[in-house]
Amino acid sequence: MKKLMMAGRKFFRNLRLRSLRSKIILSFTGLSLIPLLLLAFLSYYTYLEILQQNVRTYTEAVINRVERNLQIYLSDLERILEFRNDYYILQFLKLSLIDDVEGNQKYTYRLWENLNNIKKYKTDLREVAITTLKGVKIGCYGVTNVDLSQNELFQILANRTAQDNTMALYGPHDDWLGGKVFSVGCAIYGDYDNFLGVMSVDVELDLLARICSDIRLGKTGYVTLVDQNGQIIFHPDPELIGKSVGLLLGNPVGESWRSGYYTYGNRVIMGKTLPLANWSIIGISDRAELIAEMTTVARMSFALIAATIIAVVLGSLLLASVLTKPLKELQASMWAAAENLDTVVPVRTFDEIGQLGKAFNQMLIEIRRLMRQSVQEQKKLRQIEMRALQEQIKPHFIYNTLEVIIGLLETNQNEDVIKMVEALGAFFRISLSQGRELISIKEEVDHVHNYLYIQKLRHGEKYDYRIEVEDGIANFKTLKILLQPLVENAIYHGVRSLETNDGLITVRGYREEKTICFEVEDNGQGMPADLVDKINRYLRGEGPEDQEKHGFGLRNVHERIVLAFGQEYGLWLTSTLGQGTKVVLRLPLIK
Amino acid sequence: MNHFKFKKRLFLLLLAFVLSFSPGNVLRVGSTDRTRPIIISIVPKSLDNPMLIEAKEAAELTAERLNVKLEWVGPFKVDVHTQIKIIEGLIRRKVDGIAVSCSDAEQLRPVIDKAVAAGIKVATMEADAPESNRLFYCGTNNYAAGAKCGEVLVRIVTAKGWADRELNTVILTGSTKAHDLNERIRGFQEAAVGRLKLNYRTLLICNEDTTTAAKEVEAYLKKHPETDVLFFTGGWAFLGPPETLPVYDQWCQNGGITVAMDTSYPVLQAALRGFAQALVGPDYRKMGEFTVSYLVCAIKDLPIPSDFIDTGFELADESNFSQLLQTKKPWDIK
Repeated sequence: MKKLMMAGRKFFRNLRLRSLRSKIILSFTGLSLIPLLLLAFLSYYTYLEILQQNVRTYTEAVINRVERNLQIYLSDLERILEFRNDYYILQFLKLSLIDDVEGNQKYTYRLWENLNNIKKYKTDLREVAITTLKGVKIGCYGVTNVDLSQNELFQILANRTAQDNTMALYGPHDDWLGGKVFSVGCAIYGDYDNFLGVMSVDVELDLLARICSDIRLGKTGYVTLVDQNGQIIFHPDPELIGKSVGLLLGNPVGESWRSGYYTYGNRVIMGKTLPLANWSIIGISDRAELIAEMTTVARMSFALIAATIIAVVLGSLLLASVLTKPLKELQASMWAAAENLDTVVPVRTFDEIGQLGKAFNQMLIEIRRLMRQSVQEQKKLRQIEMRALQEQIKPHFIYNTLEVIIGLLETNQNEDVIKMVEALGAFFRISLSQGRELISIKEEVDHVHNYLYIQKLRHGEKYDYRIEVEDGIANFKTLKILLQPLVENAIYHGVRSLETNDGLITVRGYREEKTICFEVEDNGQGMPADLVDKINRYLRGEGPEDQEKHGFGLRNVHERIVLAFGQEYGLWLTSTLGQGTKVVLRLPLIK
Repeated sequence: MNHFKFKKRLFLLLLAFVLSFSPGNVLRVGSTDRTRPIIISIVPKSLDNPMLIEAKEAAELTAERLNVKLEWVGPFKVDVHTQIKIIEGLIRRKVDGIAVSCSDAEQLRPVIDKAVAAGIKVATMEADAPESNRLFYCGTNNYAAGAKCGEVLVRIVTAKGWADRELNTVILTGSTKAHDLNERIRGFQEAAVGRLKLNYRTLLICNEDTTTAAKEVEAYLKKHPETDVLFFTGGWAFLGPPETLPVYDQWCQNGGITVAMDTSYPVLQAALRGFAQALVGPDYRKMGEFTVSYLVCAIKDLPIPSDFIDTGFELADESNFSQLLQTKKPWDIK
């Protein structure tokens, strides 16, 4: 059991859908199969219900038709029997009563002719006859004698009154010529409502066959007629005529089989009683036929479902193929693009996949553009950086610094020399930073501090400097060598040309939400507003190139920041002529 | 002949006397107890031929007198198959006696024998089936009656001075299968042979139907007015209104000779009108009367004088048509 469960799990695990194609096929198959099965199930039972209803309706209609045909026929017979009040018949009856043989010859011959004429026009009739109270019967075959006590029809009519002079029916029975007939008759009354005899017609039992035999309920169903005694009077199988209806209906209890709709065994039975004759018209259908028809429907449904599944699977395969082929091409192209960005995805359709391919191609173009841009920017960054480094290690700076160191040595200011050399060493170490792009703010601040220290030793008491950096930002990262060019500008274009020795350079660093801000401010000679504007525009690449001599260092810093962090970062210059200049540097918060 | 008739009538009177002492409708026959009245069924060739009306009436009166039930059953039109079916039905019903007027002797023979074998007393009346096992035949000696017609014709033709002429002769008969009619033809032809030069042109068959007979005769004479002699084995053509025979009427007026086998009321009327020069008629009343009487005898195991009960025939010619007509009863059935 455990193994079986494991095998089952393994099977379902293996069923995990790995490809889009499988998903499409299974999805389509599933989606079509469920409603199909539901439809087939509902259709089957709906059809069964409708079929049963139709069988019932049809059987009812057939039985009604048989009843109507019989009623019409009986109505015809009723009209024929109205002939009973014919003058010759009445005369014959009256003369018969008084045994006037000679006088009755005329009426005898007349009646033979008339009765035979009726028989000639109504071919189902075997006999049309008048029976007198004395048991003399005159009919189409002459004159015979009958035992009235054995004549059921005569007895039925004789026991009625003139007011109840309706048609009566008896039979089926054998007539004296050996034919199977049923008899229909009416009483004949005299002028004083005195019973004179009976007019009757014997109808061939084959008439019932003519009415019923062509009627079929389905392929094997049929209509049968049963008399008031439960004897079969018509059945498609002549062998069963005269037998008990119990042979067909399994000896049903009571008379319930005479009317209504019910099933018995494999048979569906509907009965109706013909009031005049007290006969029952019974329609018998075979349920097996119904079931066979349903089996056919079921088979057709299953065949349809199977065919639909096959069609759906094939359709899904086709659809999946149509859908996944461009996807696969796209996938292949993407894989190729991973190795070669010059790959172009072939776009063959205008659908979503085509649009995807188109977008992918656009993306590749963009990537290539960005990559080119990135390469250029990196290249540019390196150039700027190189130039920044070159600016830093200008021979003039090194020469002057070394001159200061020599001067200090000559004056035996060894302490200062040591500090100077240490500052210079730290300055260059940080400048190089082992090739790193980003350094900590602390290192950057130390770097500018070393620079200011060196420059201060060179320029003496001409100016002073202050570094005010929040402790909290020391560990955040920054591009290296950003502050030094600003401070250099503040020295050379700000405070060094002051006539007094109260120049001051202030370096501030603080955090402003997610931004790191540095300010390099001097109280030097400042600049006119139009120049400040020109420099600011130059920094953003808008101004004329002739500002380079004033703003090269600034622009270098600004471009490096923009290249590294975007346009929203960089430098902004403010200055007031005669009062000083302030450069604000904004960087992202980088941990 | 007269002596024989007298003996038969005496026998019948004695028979009626004996039967009249029988208690009610219950008769004792042989050793069998009978609980119902004797039933005798007469089966004519057809019902619509009224020639047997006198026979029917006489039979019914005789039956009434003998206190037996009489039935008169047959096909409406001549139809041997229906006749057979009817006799089969009578056998099933176990009637006591059957008298058949055979429309086709050969075809009826088996069913007659079957009825005999079933213990029913079976006779033939009017038209015999001589090969059958029937008990007796009651009717005319048809050969003799036919021969009488031939003899009468010889006399008429001779009287007209046509004896040496070849005479175009046509016979009208009811059926070629009926023994009585064939015997009449045989008698007629044999009586005329060597005495007249009769050139038999055709045999008209009317199926013993009055309308057909008139039509056949009219049609033939219209086509063959040169016909000289007509011999009718029955009076069917004269049973309808005379106005239905205009061609025949004209033919008669032109000197045509007709001899017919019937002396019933309407036939005599027609003869008086000039439609026939001579008639030889069976005695249908005797047929009905004797048939019933002798069948009752047979049922009661009384002896039958002969297997041929001859009812004789009568001759009528222009000399006694009126006289004979007065002895007949109008039919008044049409």
